Amino acid sequence: MAVVNRIYLFSRISITPKILLDPINRVCGGRRFDSTSVSSDGEVSNSSLSTTPIIRRTLACPPEYKRVQQAWVENLNTVEEQKLGLIDLHPDVFGAQPRIDIIHENVEWQTKYRKVRYDHTKTRAEVRGGGRKPWPQKGTGKARHGSIRSPLWRGGGIAHGPRSPQTYFYMLPFYTRVHGLISCLSIKLAQDDLHVVNSLEIPTDDPKYIEDLVENRNWGPSVLLVDEIDIMPRNITAATDSILHINLMPVYGLNVFSMLKHDTLVLTMAAVNRIEEKLLYQLNRPDFMDVTKKFMLNQNG
Amino acid sequence: MSWCVKSLSLICQQIKNPQLTCVRNRYHAEKIAKGPLLRRYGYRDRILQSGTLPHVDGPRLPMPVYRPKNAWCEKRALFGQNDYIDILGNGDLHPTRIMYNVQSWLRGVKGNEYQILLRKRKIFSKGIVPIARPTKWRDLNKRISYLYRFLNEKTKTGMPSN
Repeated sequence: MAVVNRIYLFSRISITPKILLDPINRVCGGRRFDSTSVSSDGEVSNSSLSTTPIIRRTLACPPEYKRVQQAWVENLNTVEEQKLGLIDLHPDVFGAQPRIDIIHENVEWQTKYRKVRYDHTKTRAEVRGGGRKPWPQKGTGKARHGSIRSPLWRGGGIAHGPRSPQTYFYMLPFYTRVHGLISCLSIKLAQDDLHVVNSLEIPTDDPKYIEDLVENRNWGPSVLLVDEIDIMPRNITAATDSILHINLMPVYGLNVFSMLKHDTLVLTMAAVNRIEEKLLYQLNRPDFMDVTKKFMLNQNG
Repeated sequence: MSWCVKSLSLICQQIKNPQLTCVRNRYHAEKIAKGPLLRRYGYRDRILQSGTLPHVDGPRLPMPVYRPKNAWCEKRALFGQNDYIDILGNGDLHPTRIMYNVQSWLRGVKGNEYQILLRKRKIFSKGIVPIARPTKWRDLNKRISYLYRFLNEKTKTGMPSN
């Protein structure tokens, strides 16, 4: 792959002088972030073999001593798979060490932190009645009692029962959650469950088209399609509406639980750019001490 | 007369070749191989050792029909969505601000019963509850007073001494 890259750079430099900035950015190794950090262009390749545009993607700040991950770019226009290009993926996001314990922590957190128990029992003070001593202390041959609603009595209050509402909220450390996402994405890529697609446009809104596509390409029974924004093309929304195990999600809704629940993860090019930009920013932000502080209530998170 | 002779000869044969029944085993393994000794022949033990239903003779107990949960209903298929919105979306939006299924005063709250009740009283005192639900409000205040006395007089407070 290194040979191909070198040839590619050579051909690019001969065409446009703007590319001269690229080697400078790489040499400086600075973590500069701007919205045009990656270029995904479909320009015509120099080789005389094909005239279809090949989708390429170069990383603005690739790490020096890590191998870049790569993924095919496929299409959704046809049932059969057509490869439109091969893109680079940042290893810090898509090639990190798969930490199963961190993933487990994330899944546990997602399951528990929103849980609230509402079951409730009344204590002896709250049960209706029971203010008077039922019979005198001495004289009657009965056991001594102070109220008919003590926990010993039938119909009495419960001494140590559930008291609602009981919350199970807690926050994982910020970077545990970041690394959970990173581990999950890396595992999905490593296990061939991650596919990159140029866009979510499909020709029909027939659910059968999507089912045939998933069947043909051996994608898992459940598929999670991720786009950059939450407004998706009409056809795919209509097609996947009736299929419960094929779901659409924007990038901000991505999470470890959903990635593990769905067998296959399909990202659009825009989604890949956005995910990489966000996660690399979180890994390298200068004000990380502010986000790693303990969660305080009513302080706007 | 012939039957007399026959029976006599049979008896003589049995005396000569007695029918032997082994009552003792030479080896322990043989005893184990024969299995447990049958005792109380004809006795029917009325304890059911197998099966799930208590009434085998007669009408069976009603078992509910098994209805598997739909693992891909919308709630379960999209469970956990937007939990990482502060990482992958706007950094100012914390997941506690999106916990719409939880009551507003309980979002991001964790504590024991006393702490939860204090927060409930602080928030509900501004509304209609003290006027519209006087019994409940009184019970809330009583419970808070009781827990205050219990936790401060009957349990250890503060940091451990060692």
